[in-house]
Amino acid sequence: MSAKTRLRIVGGALHDPANGVDGEERDVCIEDGRVVASLPDGAPTLDARGMVVMPGGVDIHAHFASSSCNHARRLIPEEHAADPASPPRLLDGESRSGSGGTVPSTFTTGYRYAGLGYTTAFDAAVAPLLARHSHAELDDTPCVDAGIFALMGNDEYLLRQIERGERERARDYAAWLLGAAGAYAVKIVNPGGIEAWKAGQRNVTGLDDEVSGRKVTPRAILEALTDAANQLGLPHPVHIHCNNLGVVGNAATTLASMETLAGRRAHFTHLQFHCYGGEPGKGWASAAAKVIEYVNAHPEVSVDVGQVMFGPAMTITADAPVEYLLHQSSGRRWTNIDIELESGCGIVPLTYKEKTAVSALQWVVGLELFLLSQDPWRVVLSTDHPNGGSFLSYPALIQLLMDRAVRDDRLKQVNQRFLAGSALADGLAREYTLNEIAIVTRAGPARLLGLQAKGQLGVGADADVTIYSRDPDIARMFSTPRYVVKGGTLIVEEGQLRRAPAGRRLRLAPGYDDAVVRDLRKHFEAYSSVSFDNYPVRDLRDAPLVIGRTA
Amino acid sequence: MLQSVTCLGCGCGCDDLTVRVRDGRIAELSPPCPVARQWFGDGSVPREIRTDGQSTTVEQAVEAAAALLSGAEHPVVIIAPDLTTRAQCIAIAVADALRAEVDGTTSDSAAAGMLVAQRRGRAAASLGEIKNRADMVLFWAVDPRERYPRYLERYAAAESATHVRSRRFVSVSVGDDRGPEPAELAAQFAPGEEVDALAIIQATLRGRRPGELPPRLQPAVAIAERLLQGKYIAVVHDAEALGAGRDPQRVEGLLALTQLLNGPTRAALSSLRAGGNRSGAEAALTWQTGYPMRVSFREGHPHYHAGRAGLERLGSDGADALLVAGSVAPLDHPALALGRIPAVVIGPRASAMAGARVAIDTGVAGIHEAGTGYRMDEVPLPLTSLLEHPRGAAATLGLLLSVLRRRAEAKPG
Ligand code: SF4
Ligand SMILES: [Zn+2]
Repeated sequence: MSAKTRLRIVGGALHDPANGVDGEERDVCIEDGRVVASLPDGAPTLDARGMVVMPGGVDIHAHFASSSCNHARRLIPEEHAADPASPPRLLDGESRSGSGGTVPSTFTTGYRYAGLGYTTAFDAAVAPLLARHSHAELDDTPCVDAGIFALMGNDEYLLRQIERGERERARDYAAWLLGAAGAYAVKIVNPGGIEAWKAGQRNVTGLDDEVSGRKVTPRAILEALTDAANQLGLPHPVHIHCNNLGVVGNAATTLASMETLAGRRAHFTHLQFHCYGGEPGKGWASAAAKVIEYVNAHPEVSVDVGQVMFGPAMTITADAPVEYLLHQSSGRRWTNIDIELESGCGIVPLTYKEKTAVSALQWVVGLELFLLSQDPWRVVLSTDHPNGGSFLSYPALIQLLMDRAVRDDRLKQVNQRFLAGSALADGLAREYTLNEIAIVTRAGPARLLGLQAKGQLGVGADADVTIYSRDPDIARMFSTPRYVVKGGTLIVEEGQLRRAPAGRRLRLAPGYDDAVVRDLRKHFEAYSSVSFDNYPVRDLRDAPLVIGRTA
Repeated sequence: MLQSVTCLGCGCGCDDLTVRVRDGRIAELSPPCPVARQWFGDGSVPREIRTDGQSTTVEQAVEAAAALLSGAEHPVVIIAPDLTTRAQCIAIAVADALRAEVDGTTSDSAAAGMLVAQRRGRAAASLGEIKNRADMVLFWAVDPRERYPRYLERYAAAESATHVRSRRFVSVSVGDDRGPEPAELAAQFAPGEEVDALAIIQATLRGRRPGELPPRLQPAVAIAERLLQGKYIAVVHDAEALGAGRDPQRVEGLLALTQLLNGPTRAALSSLRAGGNRSGAEAALTWQTGYPMRVSFREGHPHYHAGRAGLERLGSDGADALLVAGSVAPLDHPALALGRIPAVVIGPRASAMAGARVAIDTGVAGIHEAGTGYRMDEVPLPLTSLLEHPRGAAATLGLLLSVLRRRAEAKPG
């Protein structure tokens, strides 16, 4: 019998917060890739007694399948040499070697996500021009159901529509672009700032700056795209990387962005990088408490944290002006790729050191966001992989959240220079429960992504299940799940990857008024180096999801 | 008549061609481009399948290929640029399964540039960005019109642009490698001087006034000053330059110069690359292995042999079997005659390669086989199938891969 058809996971402590189950002993019955109410006697069983059972992990924001990631891979041959990955010993199917480091090769990425118990992941920054490349990488990234977010907010066509007050046209364009790129969500990166960088203006500094001499502001871009995503009824609202990333005192911009969009659904990503107080020249401070207070009070806002973890990282972002400054200050390798009519790309390898004052502050800010948040459903665990650290560091992060002793110990070792007055330095006693971890790593992100069959194990859910052996060392417990089931297939057994099926592609094709297509064709003919007919990605694996219905 | 056809004749990757097919042949191409005409020809390619010179079926040929390759101690896989990226990916999978050495056909000159970029990063742009923004273009020892016929018309000198109305050209010639004319500023350096000239340009950009310069290097200061007048500077060079006069340090100087211009102004290096899907092979190798070229799977995982090309390895290191995926011109060279090493060739015109033990003809990417191909700026483009061919390279390599897997599973242990 194939491993896929039926499986009864017996006797585990189930953490399924979406269905109100908090560690009670429950069986999970699986048939043909879905959770079912029951199975006939004699169905194969998996003994999970004494173990912890959760839905498969859902990564709402990472960088692992893009042209930018491929540029980053090229910058780190030493890291790859130091972390070679032999092919896993699979029971059947293709098994591939690869290399790891902060930006692993594609197959290795899929295997490592699976080995971590993550079964769904999104690449959060893809220039639509290069979407074809991302899909090719995803074709070679097994084990995870995956999708991409399409970069918008610095695109020539969009800026022109906003400048003219053509908000409906802007919405139609966003809809068309999602379909053309085979993308799942609208991603805004540094609205207007990338265009400013490319136009020689360096960057924008606030919500009301003009973008490269046009009558367009970051605020207008935020509003136009947030409304577009909400009016289109996208399963995930607009995914925002605010202006002024990594800049001292940037919490003011972050709060202003949130206030501008008050009352409208929006997701603010890697919030940690946007929660700094202090003043230029006078030093940094944490503004996490202030920002998370706003988030706590505004149910329409969701965030992921973008925790910094000490150790090697790779900064990869469309926010090219930030990477230029990082290169200037760190002196490290720097790649910048300007992407016509759409976006940019900057890459600098980086190491976060606990003895470095800014790194220590960033680490503290991230933890404060987690520990001061009142609604775990809206505060997702992420490291902005690999920007704040590799996804392989999620277990260590979970330990910091669940184990105050470990956290306080670590806190003593970090540079204290900018920590005066920070909530964490003053002592935060909170420890996340297993259920809260299940929320911030699967149930929450799945709900925020509108993936109704993910992040939960009710009847009809996708049979993506992760089973952990209990271990007082939380980091060890979460880094080596005992079993992982993906779409009903047992892929990890006794901590070993045994199968590596292809994942599903998660993408959308929203409707739009055809008039935008005629206008876009003219725009492409004048300015694009790619023919309009050749721009949309075709022949993708899996049909687009139907908006408004269960995946 | 087919429109918006992508051409892989050179790295420009123009995707605006109109192709008229008549009686199973390519009858007309427009706009007319001499290099494109050469690439497409009339589209006719052989359709044979041979083992040891005898015609056979694809199944038998693939079995023979698998036997030959899996029996080898040190197989080498060469991935040619006339394949779709998917076919190239499958060839890498074959190399992984065989624990072979694998390489694309990155030229020595392009490889040198790649290695420098790995060490220091780079500042680059998609070609449309050069079209839309470059108000100043520095041509370094290249006139693109010769080998990249439409580069100027489509990109660096395009008429329609979002951000520029007019452009200024600075043209540098090095030895016999002439920059284009006319140009607002032209300079000539001897091959032995160009690296010094690049260093002087950088020093000037850094605000350091070089002392007394020999007259032949003085134009470097003027070039630096002129570049600073640009808002967005495209630095154009031929990444495939092979001339005896080319200084291997040139590319380092150009990469450094372009990075440095980002500060006082904005700049991007545009590296001209030859035809076919060579950037696709480099991209696929990178995402599958972590390295863009010259990878060995001998230890069971990817290992980077950055120093030497796969083709060079054939003559040494005890390579005892060869898989060529696609067609590689240097292999027709007598010094590399395939007869010396048992070879399998799967790709366009395989049967025309003298000495291959197994030869399976397939269609050409973007002429017979649809898929994806990468432009010189690593923008992926769709490739269409204009003409029929009984076999695709991706499907045939996929067949080989599955036979190899079956054999490996059947092997005890
Ligand atoms: S310039 Fe190059 S890509 Fe463009 S049509 Fe000519 S050969 Fe083809
Ligand atoms: Zn990110």
